[in-house]
Amino acid sequence: MTDTTQQQIFDLIAKQAKIDVATIKPESTLKDLGIASLEAIELIFDIEEHFNITFPDQQGANFDTDTTQSLVDAVQKALDDKAAAGEGSN
Amino acid sequence: MSTVPLMRRVVITGMGAISPLGVGAEALWQGLREGRSAIGPLNHPDAARLRVKIAAQVPASFDPAANIDERILPMLDRTSEFALHAAREAITQSGLEFRQNGLGVRTACVVGTGVGGETTQDEQSKRLYGENSQRAHPLTIVRLMTNASASQISIAYGLRGPTYAVASACASANHAIIQAAMMIRYGMVDAAITGGTEACITYGALRAWEAMRVLADDTCRPFSINRRGLVLGEGAGIFVLESLEHAQARGATILAELAGSGMTADATDIVMPSADGAASAMRQALADAALAPEDVDYINAHGTGTLANDVTESKAIRLAFGAHADRLAVSSTKSMHGHALGASGALELVAVVGALRDSVVPPTANLDKVDPACDLDYVPNVAREMPVRAALSNSFAFGGLNAVLALKRAP
Repeated sequence: MTDTTQQQIFDLIAKQAKIDVATIKPESTLKDLGIASLEAIELIFDIEEHFNITFPDQQGANFDTDTTQSLVDAVQKALDDKAAAGEGSN
Repeated sequence: MSTVPLMRRVVITGMGAISPLGVGAEALWQGLREGRSAIGPLNHPDAARLRVKIAAQVPASFDPAANIDERILPMLDRTSEFALHAAREAITQSGLEFRQNGLGVRTACVVGTGVGGETTQDEQSKRLYGENSQRAHPLTIVRLMTNASASQISIAYGLRGPTYAVASACASANHAIIQAAMMIRYGMVDAAITGGTEACITYGALRAWEAMRVLADDTCRPFSINRRGLVLGEGAGIFVLESLEHAQARGATILAELAGSGMTADATDIVMPSADGAASAMRQALADAALAPEDVDYINAHGTGTLANDVTESKAIRLAFGAHADRLAVSSTKSMHGHALGASGALELVAVVGALRDSVVPPTANLDKVDPACDLDYVPNVAREMPVRAALSNSFAFGGLNAVLALKRAP
């Protein structure tokens, strides 16, 4: 089993914020972790690339105040949707 | 310090536009005063695979070949097509003949553009990387260079004074217009052709804007609580500027006076705007035009419809105008012509000239419910008949760059 989705996302966040991954809590917002504005958009891009998913459009400024848990949930939902779509088309 | 330089007054004696509201400055102004939004479904060969679904595009009825020498046409990116057509309209209206009496040598040409020939860049990249072609088109460079629009106008009309492009993202047109006006003010030239142009509805550019997550998916709703971002536009606005005495000596019809300007940089963040930077540019423009806050009736806002801009700009207007902010009419015409990036200030100057001339303030369209964090009078949805003695036109760019024009009625 590879790392959990949460672990993979936390690793990406740690890399973007240049912080120790152990300091990231599910309730931390990106802003708490020092990720604001463009860095947040860049992180979203990294996550999309990593999981090969596309988040729905959302105004960039909102990501700053999202918790890392809500990001994990959004990724999990996108992965589930992708899996469902894949099954449907097979 | 040397002696105070000659300071001449600068007036506008011609304007032209190609915009999502149609061909011609009058089509743009009529659309704006009717509150008509040109935002619609994206018309692009790759639309089906793009997330962005809407844009404000120059209508298909625009014929780039009309009245342009067929030997020149192959050299033009869409950016230059827009600019040349708008320039012809402006110059025709002004009645100036640059090849007579040496006027061409005393005329500048400064055109703003955010990026330049994006269509050309996109086509050639597709050819090289997508189709593995070994050859780029031989006219690639002359089409895509940022100064192509300014140079093509210069060649078409024999303008032999200072000619160049100005690039400052979404403030490019205003920065260009200010450069041109400065040269007239200080006596370097007697006339100038200036404005902005952009043709940014390309696959590559649309993908880049998508990735930034600032594009609205419904429409452009500046200052509205339900705004969801900006909507890309395209087009060009070109103006003829002259010194007041030059215009008066030849009995020209003066459309408005370009009375002053302000330029500042936030020096804070590459994308997040600062109210202080914007306010100081507005204050500078007022002082430069010898206007008190109470003299101004209208501000054509930058008003992109993003979360960040609209609140910050509203705060900045309050900082610059104090109590008079409550008496200002403030509108964002981007709700109708979209955000034409490096051309936006030029399209918006058409709106400001119209407002001064016709005593009508164009509305902010799609304004459902004002965001409580935006506390000014945004002229919602319907144009307002009111005397406009003086007006500001705001442009604020990514990179933290602010350029504000101050306009007065024709003297």
